[in-house]
Amino acid sequence: MRTLSRMTGWLVLALAFALPAGAQQQPAADPDPIKTQQRRAIEQPGNNAPVWRNVQSGQPNYASIPGREAGVLIQPQARFPGQDAIATAGEAWRKFRNGPVTVYGGWLIVVVCAIIAGIYFVQGPIKVHEQPTGRLLPRFSVAERWAHWVMGISFCVLGATGLIMLFGKHVLLPVFGYTLFAWLSSLAKNLHNFVAPLFVVSLVVFILMYLKDNLPEKGDGAWLATSWRMFTGGKQPASGRFNGGEKVWYWVGVVAMCLVVSASGLVLLFPNFEQLRTTMQQMHIIHVVSAVLVTGFALAHIYMGTIGVEGAYGNMRDGVTDEAWAKEHHANWYQDVKSGKEAAKSGAAPQTQH
Amino acid sequence: MARMKFLVDAERCIECNGCVTACKNENEVPWGVNRRKVVTINDGVVGAEKSLSVACMHCSDAPCMAVCPVDCFYRTDDGVVLHDKDLCIGCGYCFYACPFGAPQFPQAGAFGLRGKMDKCTFCAGGPEADRSDAEFKKYGRNRLAEGKLPACAEMCSTKALLGGDGDVIADIYRERVARRGVKGAEAWGWGTAYGPPPKGAAPAAAPAGGKS
Repeated sequence: MRTLSRMTGWLVLALAFALPAGAQQQPAADPDPIKTQQRRAIEQPGNNAPVWRNVQSGQPNYASIPGREAGVLIQPQARFPGQDAIATAGEAWRKFRNGPVTVYGGWLIVVVCAIIAGIYFVQGPIKVHEQPTGRLLPRFSVAERWAHWVMGISFCVLGATGLIMLFGKHVLLPVFGYTLFAWLSSLAKNLHNFVAPLFVVSLVVFILMYLKDNLPEKGDGAWLATSWRMFTGGKQPASGRFNGGEKVWYWVGVVAMCLVVSASGLVLLFPNFEQLRTTMQQMHIIHVVSAVLVTGFALAHIYMGTIGVEGAYGNMRDGVTDEAWAKEHHANWYQDVKSGKEAAKSGAAPQTQH
Repeated sequence: MARMKFLVDAERCIECNGCVTACKNENEVPWGVNRRKVVTINDGVVGAEKSLSVACMHCSDAPCMAVCPVDCFYRTDDGVVLHDKDLCIGCGYCFYACPFGAPQFPQAGAFGLRGKMDKCTFCAGGPEADRSDAEFKKYGRNRLAEGKLPACAEMCSTKALLGGDGDVIADIYRERVARRGVKGAEAWGWGTAYGPPPKGAAPAAAPAGGKS
């Protein structure tokens, strides 16, 4: 989990920096193509090679037709990471999207699902060692739960519709046929477009609301190093309100990747700000790569938050947790709450006394 | 079967925009969309100004077709790349992928929401029944079904824009180039859309006689 999240984080970073640098490589430019063409028209009438070379550079020319890039005869050249040859930007984008993004992205989702299924069916869910006490501690306030679920549900809608648009042609189209699949895709596109702003707003609210308790603490490293034991029935190290794994998910998955996904998505969502095709191609690749990575990450989180960890789902649904669960999973936070150091979350269900 | 292609002769195009007007009129193109445009390179520079009319080139390996998430494109027996507006979801991917900027989207709502993609059909309509009202409303005139060639090329006053069977228009162009005394009969600018000729293909036969 730790190495995976690190790797994905680096990948997004590397991609974000590599793209703008690598995407706009032009062939060696003629310093004065007009002069060259004028000379050529005299030496070799009818040979317009200098003009065509100029066209290949993708520079805007004159067109009386209104419209963005109307004067661009052929898109400029570009090369995306890992591509051998420079090509027309649209062609480079197409090869990158239909190639590595679809192939590796698809396998990433499949592999993550397989790993989760393996853990669930071989090891089973992580159980609480002690019997439930029946005494409930407030864990998430109403506001925190709303922020989480608005973001989480909109994320799931965006993830599912995004997967339809990227992989549906290969997975669903052969099953559904053209008419039904086009109807589904149309629904997916519109849901994706209209749910996206809600996700972006809830993401910002969520990040601010959960920031304080996700700041790195002393025990996080130790938790990440030894928490794998809980998958084999062992006990995990003590942690605060959020453990090291949750913090990695918060900082890498939610803060870094979701903000990258949101920012790049907004550029694509509002094409009416005069942004050019090159910008949208680059943003699309950043968007889809980070979205696939964060979807894989989110699958792990959704597993751990539902069927993977006994009691975890109820905490976020009801906002309260059993003392036994708290002691098992967040021993330091349990101590803080019991000693009164941590203020009870306002709006949570009142503590039940027996 | 014929392979339909467009060819623009940069020595002849005078940037009159007659092709653009002919296309808009013949196909009753949606507001804000121009299926064809004329681009002028080195505008106003004596000895270096060249104009070209460009629309969908009906590529052999069409990028729009490859990236469409709902696979709404198809190629006719004549090599014309068409699309099904009933399937199109207006995602804009064809517009990212096309080198020539052919796919365009009428705005369907606020905030730049895209409607169904519209592009040049080589005046060959769409998947509906040939010459039906439904086909005309969505895609414009199906001139190929009427036994005619695209309106833009037919309208071109200097015959700079040629549209039709690739072999025939290549012959016409070769004849022109030969008359101009230029070495080589290469139709500059086809590389992006049509790629290199298939391996082992014999060069097209020499023109039978003066037909330019």
